[in-house]
Amino acid sequence: MIFIVLMLLLTGIFITDLFFGSVHIPVKNILNALFTGNAGKEEWDLIVLNFRLPKAITAFLAGAALSVSGLQMQTMFRNPLAGPDVLGISAGASLGVAFVTLGFSAILGVQIEGLLANWGIVFAAWVGAGLVLFLIFMVSLRINDIMTILILGILFGSVAIAIVSVMQYFSNEVLLKSFLVWSMGSLSNVSGVHLMVLIPSVVVGLLISLFTIKMLNLMLLGENYARSMGLNLRMSRFLIFLSTSILAGSITAFCGPIGFIGIAVPHICRMIFKTSDQKVLMIACIIVGPLLMIISDLLSQLPGNGMILPLNTVTALLGIPVVFWIIYRNHKISSI
Amino acid sequence: MNPIIQIEHLAVGYGNGLHTKEIVRNLNVSVFQGETIGIIGQNGIGKSTLLRTLTRLQHPLAGSVKIDGKNIETYSRIEFARIVSFVSTESIRLSHCTVKQLVAFGRYPYTNWVGKLTSNDEAAVSEAIAMVGLTSLAGRFINEISDGERQRVMIARTLAQDTNIIVLDEPTAFLDMPNKFEVVHLLSELARKKNKTIIFSSHDLNIAMKEADRLWLMMPDSFIDGAPEDLVLQHSISKVFQQSRLKFDPRRGDFSITRKPVGVCKLTGKGNVLLWTKKALERLGFETENEQGEHTVEIQFQEKENEITWQLIHQQNTYTFHSIYELASYLKLEFGKSLT
Repeated sequence: MIFIVLMLLLTGIFITDLFFGSVHIPVKNILNALFTGNAGKEEWDLIVLNFRLPKAITAFLAGAALSVSGLQMQTMFRNPLAGPDVLGISAGASLGVAFVTLGFSAILGVQIEGLLANWGIVFAAWVGAGLVLFLIFMVSLRINDIMTILILGILFGSVAIAIVSVMQYFSNEVLLKSFLVWSMGSLSNVSGVHLMVLIPSVVVGLLISLFTIKMLNLMLLGENYARSMGLNLRMSRFLIFLSTSILAGSITAFCGPIGFIGIAVPHICRMIFKTSDQKVLMIACIIVGPLLMIISDLLSQLPGNGMILPLNTVTALLGIPVVFWIIYRNHKISSI
Repeated sequence: MNPIIQIEHLAVGYGNGLHTKEIVRNLNVSVFQGETIGIIGQNGIGKSTLLRTLTRLQHPLAGSVKIDGKNIETYSRIEFARIVSFVSTESIRLSHCTVKQLVAFGRYPYTNWVGKLTSNDEAAVSEAIAMVGLTSLAGRFINEISDGERQRVMIARTLAQDTNIIVLDEPTAFLDMPNKFEVVHLLSELARKKNKTIIFSSHDLNIAMKEADRLWLMMPDSFIDGAPEDLVLQHSISKVFQQSRLKFDPRRGDFSITRKPVGVCKLTGKGNVLLWTKKALERLGFETENEQGEHTVEIQFQEKENEITWQLIHQQNTYTFHSIYELASYLKLEFGKSLT
């Protein structure tokens, strides 16, 4: 029942997202553009099909991917403040992007432009995120204690951020600005071509996540109990790390680091469904995540104003009150 | 009859190749189906480490553990989870998890890849909850029930897991007295009625002695195995607590703290009043005897129609008291300095 309401809400908000933007286009023409590919004006076609639709789809994917990986991290680390970035994934991605936007140009004196830069950033972010994750996975093969792994993840992340800071310090203003813009998060850099990569990545990530549901449920009781009920800990960690890095890594690569969605949405889902069953929560995340992400996107456009706010400021302004409200109502979120 | 568990030349401890610390060495012991075994020993003696090794949460440093004649290391994870279940000392604090959900976790070695419960699984879960007497709480969240109830939920989970062997690490820790007894009683009942083999560690010797078929006493240099009564008769129990001031009284099957006696009290009378007066005097540090001899004070009492009066003879003076509290207060005042 709640699922149906949420689905309707999501569909509604998804369509609304197509109607709003800095250029006003009549509703009828938008529908024409979607179904016939002809909105009446060429630039309207362009705006709806090449800009608004990809952005709405990206928002959907980002919301689902970040929320699901946030849920996985919170459950695996049994820590309510964990999110997709605790393992240093966004930090690793930032490092990769910093290498491309700041490093190459600074070291080689060449500024990479156009399509190459675009894919270069995506690729670099993926490599950066993957590298950090690989390091953590190697560590987790030797260390059993999940808290130690969490701390090491944070340390790796901090090292990556420190290197990024050094690179920022030595780069010129123009490059610095292009890096900072990436780091503020944006859904609008994703074009139709990008979606050809982003959609399959997120779908694969979500499919792997579905396979981790049972493992995550067992992990709720802690690793000793999980193992005593037959869980293959190493395999489970690998699958969870893998899906999280595909999900959070891809989104960070294409949209930049987007904060708070990954932490807030799993908590909202727990509040709505009052369950710790990961199956229910994961499906809920796939609906509520996009919902919150698209709302953030709508708010970032300040309808009717023509200005666009950085996405991260909106997710923070929207996400923090939610987290605050949850803490305030529960008095504590010491348990997941 | 073949033993269900055979422990051979087992050494357990910590270590990662370079540095190993053996805590228990060369352990040889067998367990039979349906036995309840209590493991007793001081903190840090290796009870948990032994239990973790038996449940395959860590590898033995040497030797082997066989279940049904097969080395436990050769079982697959799922096979093993259908034979041995475990309750650890970790407390479970999940915010939105019902009793039923938690017990249902026990079915995981039997469910498909998403953990879907079949009607069979549902029935096993309900039965397990009924067995520990929590049917009325099945829908409650586990952070809203008492510690004792939560411990019974964890036991129900092992029943849902449907294993022949249940291993529990300190199942009575953090529980109040009645709950301690109920939990251990529940365990020994399961062993008897369902023919489960139960191994638990405990600090509560009293409880373990009353309910366990066998005790394993773990000491720094030895390991003693036997029925609780045998161990008392062999004076083994008192050895466990040799270093501490705790003294085991084989006549009463009970512990007392050894204190330097304050004095000797001649106490005459019989029945309950004698017993409890004696306990009070012991608490105050007096040794009691009922024959003529050297004594510091003498106490007599009379029982008349629900009224008890105590007469204390001390240095030729006789004092009368109407409660043990009054008597004890006087003794504390008189002998206070030597009582500290």
